[in-house]
Amino acid sequence: MSMNVATLGTDRARRLRAALTALLAVAAVVGAPFYFAPFQVFQLTMVLLYAVALAGLNLLVGFGGQISLGHGAFFAAGAYTAAVMLDRYDTGHLATLPVAAAGCFLLGLGFGVPALRLRGLYLALVTLSFAVFLPPLLKRLEPVTGGSMGLTVDKLQPPAWSGLAEDQWMYFVVLAVATVALLLARNLLRSRVGRALLAVRDNESAAEVMGVRLSLHKTLAFAWSAMFAGVAGCVYTWVIGFVSPDSFSFVLSITLLAGLVVGGLASLYGPLLGAAFVMYVPSVAQDISEAAPGVVFGLLIIAVMFVAPTGLAGLAGRVRGVITPLLTRTKPSAAVRTPESEPPSAPPAPAETAPADAEPVGAPPRTEKE
Amino acid sequence: MSEKPTTDDTEAGASTEAGRTPAEPDFLKVSDLHAGYGQARVLQGLDFTVARGEVCAVLGPNGAGKTTTLRALCGMVRGRGSVTLNGTELLGRSPEQAARLGVAHVPEGRGTFNDLTVEENLRIGAHLHTGHWRRGRAQRAAVAADLERIYGYFPKLRDRSRQAAGSLSGGEQQMLAIGRALMLRPSLLLLDEPSLGLAPLVTRELFEIVRAVNEEERTTVVVVEQNAQLALDVAHRAHVLEAGRLVLSGPAAQIREDGQVAEVYLGVSVRAGTGG
Repeated sequence: MSMNVATLGTDRARRLRAALTALLAVAAVVGAPFYFAPFQVFQLTMVLLYAVALAGLNLLVGFGGQISLGHGAFFAAGAYTAAVMLDRYDTGHLATLPVAAAGCFLLGLGFGVPALRLRGLYLALVTLSFAVFLPPLLKRLEPVTGGSMGLTVDKLQPPAWSGLAEDQWMYFVVLAVATVALLLARNLLRSRVGRALLAVRDNESAAEVMGVRLSLHKTLAFAWSAMFAGVAGCVYTWVIGFVSPDSFSFVLSITLLAGLVVGGLASLYGPLLGAAFVMYVPSVAQDISEAAPGVVFGLLIIAVMFVAPTGLAGLAGRVRGVITPLLTRTKPSAAVRTPESEPPSAPPAPAETAPADAEPVGAPPRTEKE
Repeated sequence: MSEKPTTDDTEAGASTEAGRTPAEPDFLKVSDLHAGYGQARVLQGLDFTVARGEVCAVLGPNGAGKTTTLRALCGMVRGRGSVTLNGTELLGRSPEQAARLGVAHVPEGRGTFNDLTVEENLRIGAHLHTGHWRRGRAQRAAVAADLERIYGYFPKLRDRSRQAAGSLSGGEQQMLAIGRALMLRPSLLLLDEPSLGLAPLVTRELFEIVRAVNEEERTTVVVVEQNAQLALDVAHRAHVLEAGRLVLSGPAAQIREDGQVAEVYLGVSVRAGTGG
């Protein structure tokens, strides 16, 4: 361990390490569906799907500094858009994605209007009302939505040329959607619009005197965020093949928000970690206590927030913050011993200290290069 | 009291004593400005003008309405009366619209975006100069040139360009706030208490930079300041407020030298500064 640290500082070693990590990550992500059982692959697919929704919510809550307890409604809107298109108009699966995305974007734009006048708890309450009011509405609109019986549609089927099983194909499709969505979220944040969004979060009036149009950027945050939730909902329909009002109760909205907070607000990886938490922890809770899984789930959320108040994404940074001083103290002795098993690239002499790059994990993205 | 310069006779005095005739004496024209917060009426009818390219100090005791004056100019506080910049009415506009007209406000307490890096903060200052689809490349080049210009004035910001603004010292944050405002390419720069909470040496450095900006770019500056002596050193003209009214106006040099008047309205600091 100490030898590792001695080579950490050099630039080439660090780049090599980053490339290796990325390569391993890609290999693991691509290889996963061939290694795991179909049900586990399905679970991974769901993690990716929730990650898309959480990334959207993160834009609004983490980076926009607003709050929404109604994102389940946008998720449901996306899911129903896909289901109705598949059920009534028999369009292909792919055609439902842009429609769900655009529809939810517009919906978010509309629902973003209250955000201009309300904030904090008041905004939370108004957005919660979307989530509460949608399921009964879906039940009422029976001719279109199938009422409380819901709609059953075709799942995504693998094309013959792929030679993949259904679960594997779905995994790869959702992986592609999630990759695009997460990259889009990242690039959005590094753009002019993203900077304006962060500025509004940090100091509204200072942003305004810099010429940032508050109303535009606040509603846009809602719209983008809703679009991501809608895309996740659409893909949900592809994967599950069934939608009903009860799948999208207001509990979904709250679960999404809880997942985001647990994963890490305003962090780029937070949504992935949060999605994994939302997906796996309830079943773990079920294993621990058959009688009251909700209690265990709640306690686990409290435990995570206690250990990692900045979310799971911030945990790595916190751990590093504790460990690095310990390691640097042992470093002189480590540097004297020449590393034998490490990559040959590391000249041991100018082993400068590494913590310069120890940026807080939860911090917003650094400056773009133009 | 009779030798106290009044608003009327300083119009003539300014042009001669400042040693130059302002090209546009009415660049910023404030007439009968009333403003306040809810029931509280702070400004009770202000009249003054600022010539283009001038540094104008607004002085006065706490609660006189200095900050409110600036906020009314940039649209953060609603005002009655009239404020024109280069002939365009400013009152009734939002801060964002005022920014579009070239008014850059450096708020009291700096208002830097602490989670963003120094450079990102500066780029937000360029918000209005970016984002047009067709002129993307030219705009990026212009913004890059602006960044260089700001780093030229504030070399410390260049050293810290990738650091989070929240990690800067108070003086550096104030520099960042001013630099960010300059990214707007303003025609009118409003500075609210730049010395707040800063060491005297840092404050002096800041004011020297403000002077340099004013001289090199001919930016019109209105600065609100508690530290009257420092502000008067840099300003061409000064207005003294008390209880929402203008009690004294004139060339900065004249106000600085008028020890008695200074003592009444500005405290002893000015007098000590002039050696009296």
